[in-house]
Amino acid sequence: MNLHVKDLTVTHRGRTLVDVPELELQPRRPVTIVGESGSGKSLLAHTIMGTLPPELTARGSLLIDGQVLDIADMANRRRLWGRTLALLPQEPVLALDPTMRVGGQVAEGFPGFPARRREARSAAGTLLKALGLGASAQAYPHTLSGGMAQRAAFAAATIGQASVLIADEPSKGLDVGARDELAALLGRHVEVGGILLTITHDLELARQLGGEVLVMRDATVVEHGPAGQVLAEPSHSYTQRLIAAEPSHWTYPWMDRTAPAAEAPRLVSGRGLAKSFGGRTLFSDLSVAVRAGERLAISGPSGCGKTTLGNILLRLTAPDVGQVSHAAELGVGRLQKLYQDPALAFPPRATLGDGFRDLLRRHRLDPARLDELLPALRLQPELLGRLPGQVSGGELQRLAVIRAMLLEPALLFADEPTSRLDLITQEETICALMEQVDRQDCALVLVTHDESLAHAVAGRRLQLGQDTSTSRLAKTPA
Amino acid sequence: MTSLSAIPTATGPATAHPSPAPGRRWRTWHSTRSLGQRLALALLALLAAFALAGPLVWPDHAVQDLSRFLETPSLAEPLGRDHLGRSVIARLAHATQLSLLLALLCVATALTAGAVAGIAAAWRGGWLDVALRGLSEALIAIPALLIVLIFSALADGALWTLYLGLALAQWVEYFRLVHARSALVLAGPAVEAAGLLGLGTVHIVRRHLWPELRPLLATMAAFGIGSSVLALSTLGFVGVGLKPPTPELGLMITEAFPFYSEAPWMSLAPVLVLAATLAGLLGLRSKETP
Amino acid sequence: MGTEVSAQLDAAPPVKARLAPLAAVLRRRALQAVGVVLLVSTACFAIVQSLPGDIAFRIAAGRYGYDAVTASSAAAVRADLGLDQPAWQQLFGWWADVARLDLGKSLVTNADVGDELGLSLAASLQLAAAALLLACAFGTAAGAFAARHPGGLVDRATDAGVTLARAFPPFLLGLALILVFSVHLGVLPAAGHGDGGSIILPALTLAIGLAALFARVSRDTIAGILASDYVGFARTKGLSARLVYLRHVLRNAGVTLIAYLGVQALILIEGVVVIESLFGWPGLGHALVHAVFWRDLPMIQASALALALLVVAINTAADLAGLAADPRPRNRKAFQ
Repeated sequence: MNLHVKDLTVTHRGRTLVDVPELELQPRRPVTIVGESGSGKSLLAHTIMGTLPPELTARGSLLIDGQVLDIADMANRRRLWGRTLALLPQEPVLALDPTMRVGGQVAEGFPGFPARRREARSAAGTLLKALGLGASAQAYPHTLSGGMAQRAAFAAATIGQASVLIADEPSKGLDVGARDELAALLGRHVEVGGILLTITHDLELARQLGGEVLVMRDATVVEHGPAGQVLAEPSHSYTQRLIAAEPSHWTYPWMDRTAPAAEAPRLVSGRGLAKSFGGRTLFSDLSVAVRAGERLAISGPSGCGKTTLGNILLRLTAPDVGQVSHAAELGVGRLQKLYQDPALAFPPRATLGDGFRDLLRRHRLDPARLDELLPALRLQPELLGRLPGQVSGGELQRLAVIRAMLLEPALLFADEPTSRLDLITQEETICALMEQVDRQDCALVLVTHDESLAHAVAGRRLQLGQDTSTSRLAKTPA
Repeated sequence: MTSLSAIPTATGPATAHPSPAPGRRWRTWHSTRSLGQRLALALLALLAAFALAGPLVWPDHAVQDLSRFLETPSLAEPLGRDHLGRSVIARLAHATQLSLLLALLCVATALTAGAVAGIAAAWRGGWLDVALRGLSEALIAIPALLIVLIFSALADGALWTLYLGLALAQWVEYFRLVHARSALVLAGPAVEAAGLLGLGTVHIVRRHLWPELRPLLATMAAFGIGSSVLALSTLGFVGVGLKPPTPELGLMITEAFPFYSEAPWMSLAPVLVLAATLAGLLGLRSKETP
Repeated sequence: MGTEVSAQLDAAPPVKARLAPLAAVLRRRALQAVGVVLLVSTACFAIVQSLPGDIAFRIAAGRYGYDAVTASSAAAVRADLGLDQPAWQQLFGWWADVARLDLGKSLVTNADVGDELGLSLAASLQLAAAALLLACAFGTAAGAFAARHPGGLVDRATDAGVTLARAFPPFLLGLALILVFSVHLGVLPAAGHGDGGSIILPALTLAIGLAALFARVSRDTIAGILASDYVGFARTKGLSARLVYLRHVLRNAGVTLIAYLGVQALILIEGVVVIESLFGWPGLGHALVHAVFWRDLPMIQASALALALLVVAINTAADLAGLAADPRPRNRKAFQ
């Protein structure tokens, strides 16, 4: 059985959001669509699935299982759901009903479910056991880690034996370990003769899945071919730019920098630190020091306590055991922080300009410094008239960099500053940050789950949560 | 379907548009109101005008003239005269003024007390927080009408007991809302960042707390005015509020009801004022607020 | 996929852990009840203290009629209330009486307040239950219907009806119903208690206002659930619309609506007070308003306490039901 898409377009008020003349999906040959947010890749998946919001107009035809379906009519795919077409949702934590046990949510996808309840239950049990979730059948979703929830959602989506599986950003919110598990799961669907279409912005997941890769940008496919070829030797300039934006491919002047001398003064020293959360020990007897001008990366899987450690070093959170002392030069404003979600780090109902004016006035700073930094970080001064919610994530994070660096801090703590950004935006943001850090010779503590980013930025590394049994459990649903 | 991020209508960076210059705030505020909200505003303006100007136009609400018993409406007396020969429109104007003024006063008192206590408890924490929260826990379980009733037993339905009772019954709602929201804002990353940047208390109140609380308080105040007017008239209606011959909406309804078949306008006039006030205040709410 | 350790997390938690949230709810509500009793009894005490000097005289007047008041009957009242002791002593004595459930005798009828309370409570509960049942049934049905197509015709019609119902205060609604059904049509009794139809009008009046609130909340809740990720996922699993509704929408809507029931308790009890007075329904609200009118302090205190504790009781029931229906840890409250 094949799935063949012809002349697919999606428009909204005359604007074309997706335009794909042809797409062929075959068993045992996974297809992965990569691209940045806004490229139309998710819309393409939802158009095929028939779950597009009604305000969007889709056209084209779909050849599936020997019959031709009109793409414009979303309802004609509904009877294929679960049996022929299955969707692995993004953010499985949200896709599972919080009030129903996992086993029931898997069993209800079994063909002929309410009538064949008993068979469905045992099939669900078997499937969950095969996925290593045997003990979780009676559990509620909020007790599962992100990776476990992803496997439960996979079981629920595939128990109906649908041959076509569409995975929409399945690695969103997963750390490296869970992403590797996910790639293996999706691979199994392909091995047993299934058709797989994966939508992702994660190039590493695309590499692991193999098969064919399509690169989308501005509603169209700009390049396609075997995964190994496209992702290693891209021919289109956009793909080249995308691949170069991976931290492992970076080369920047601020990267080759000798570590500060051992006699550089200690800014922060934490001794014998321990912290536990919800009865679970994140770390214990940990001693960390940050010296002036040093760049330290704290990395590890999600929930290992890396952000908590950073906050303890900044004395924003108290440790259970141990002490943190700050050098005298870390006075008011000399210690700054960048947040994972910059939208939360600015007051949402005050314009950015108002916030900056308050800052300049409070510390009697020269407004010309701001006028100087904005163009240096490629930001338009008009942005200051807007509210934080009216500015893109990348721009807002760069504004946060300016806000922090205006006070010429001795130490900057960056907490996953780019984990919500696309690859190219991440590169822009990190460059803007590091150029300022380099110029002001400021110490940096970077918290990240991305090993390659940690490697590219930091001179010294601290890895938390090596013991997976502690790190995996910590994933709390947002 | 979490994020079909390419949809232009979805909120997010794609829809970024410049915010209006501060000087044009009024115009944007006005143009974002729906038709229903503008109608409600007009209705409330009309009521306010009646409450302010009415008592000046028809000052004699207490003059009795039994010879004019249940006089039918005329040009000089748009709502006729009541069973004691008093001018109904004069009484209605004074009653509307009393209700709206008392309601405004109660809400202003409750809002100020609740907001100050809420911010103080959320900010300072410690014993102040524990004490105020304990008090609010108990108060929130007592229906407002019950508190006003108990208070009205204090001094035979004098105006000040009603004011005190209503304000006391209402401040706890403002307190709980302001406390919950302030605690959330104060514990958030934006305030943490403001602390690291050395921005002071004034900045946090002005840029973080106040913009977040203002729309909530406005919505609550509109509801609070409505429920104060309603409580006052309910008490008057059941005979434990203000005492006759004070012109009060609830009392007027009670007094007029026995003459409903002879002089229906006498009952309908206060009913309409009451319903219009409540409908106007309800109509102000925008779709997003619960 | 080698994270078997994590599976241990899913094993049923020990009984103690499962009872912890239950104990937390009960402790919180018990504390609230104590607070309510302290506040109400102190307020009643304050009334006694603040009443002008001739309080005993006035109470005696209330008890025996204005013509029959004598100095000795006033003195009897003064002794009755212990008005000659210092204030703090009186307050502690007052609290101790409440704690012993000794609520005193009615100053008007001289009957034991506790006995009168029992009858009133039963009548109030009857009325409240009838209204709640009606409001739940019609309100949630209207809300669920409106939620099927947010912004559609049914939705807008429901919204208009809800606003209209809320613009009419309960006592006006009651008056309108009396006019239509008793005065004009003459089909239902307007007041009283006992004969078959007498509960219909008061219950209906109370239910209309509540139903409007229920309709709004259930509409918003159900519309939100229908648009949620988990309902979308259930659909793409291949479940029929009916099964999605039965298995996912109903329970999740129930969790929210149960929590809302607790919030509604305040509005319900306020409504009970007004509606009982209007229809002469011999419940707690009726008793309270009468007692306020006659300055019958023991009766004011007793009926106010009963009404406020009823709110606490309804909230406790809602909390417990929520605990049973929602498996998630209750780290934040849905409503305040």
